[in-house]
Amino acid sequence: MDNITLISDEEKDILQEIMNIAFGQAAADLAEVINIFVVLSVPDIKILKAVDLPEYIREEFNELSHISIVEQNFWGEFKGNALLIFPAGAGKELISLLGDGGELTFEPQSSDILESETLMEVGNILIGACVGKIAELLKDVVTYSPPRVIIENHPNASMPKSLFNSSDSAILLKTVFCFNERDVNGFLFLITNEDSVIWLKKALDDFMEQYE
Amino acid sequence: MINVILIVDDSPISRKMLKSCIPKDREYVFHEAGDGLAGLELYKKKQPDVTFMDLTMPVMDGATALGEIIKYDKHALVIVLTADVQVKSITRVVELGAFLVVKKPPTKESIQEALLKAEEKIG
Repeated sequence: MDNITLISDEEKDILQEIMNIAFGQAAADLAEVINIFVVLSVPDIKILKAVDLPEYIREEFNELSHISIVEQNFWGEFKGNALLIFPAGAGKELISLLGDGGELTFEPQSSDILESETLMEVGNILIGACVGKIAELLKDVVTYSPPRVIIENHPNASMPKSLFNSSDSAILLKTVFCFNERDVNGFLFLITNEDSVIWLKKALDDFMEQYE
Repeated sequence: MINVILIVDDSPISRKMLKSCIPKDREYVFHEAGDGLAGLELYKKKQPDVTFMDLTMPVMDGATALGEIIKYDKHALVIVLTADVQVKSITRVVELGAFLVVKKPPTKESIQEALLKAEEKIG
């Protein structure tokens, strides 16, 4: 399967719209937990060879010396990895937001652990809601691994190797979002490989049937 | 009576989804725009009875376009059809003058109900 024929332009458009709906839901879910407004952007879908992912991510973040990443895997018919990428320091900004509500209290612990836990919590909500909504729209059910956070590493050093050791193509769904109150940008990547593609093409077709 | 409908959405698939939810028993005239600015210009040119407006769009976002349309025509019936279901987003577009907010994905029921309300408003 080559890069061009993995999914058609129309399938890409459908996936983009589904991603848009899913991320809107994720932002609303997050806003219920913390007092935040997420500025949404138009999602971008790319087809890449998995081996090219580290270079792609390095280029995407070439202005940032350090980044934080929350990773969560998901399994269903739709399966893959979700990566939520923040500039380093974003966790500290988000901690202050969690604190603003006055309802959440933290045990005394180091700021690194707090930052890590905050990123995991935000990642868990955003990834769970986003992937969950995609699965719901495509009539699938997914399960998740616990979120895992990697803080302040260069992208090429911190990417899980399992993502890149395959010669498969990967469908990469990217959404950029901005936490308005704190001017923090984040990037959500959903990476699914060829194992999911045959199912995905059929599911997208079925989804659009109701709109024929 | 609704005759002319303007659809403003950057996604061709989303416009197709919406159009398929609009009842076929009437011969509506459709106009489509792919961003807020094009939508605003088309609104001024075509004077639609109802406008469906997405929010997250390039060039000019839907909230800005909505505000400009209401400035131009305070009686404009703009139905915001959006995936951005954050309370703050909905509150903002209602304050800007949206007639209704409908959550994506559209369904035949949600769109027909919205059109019925618009029809009643027009009288």
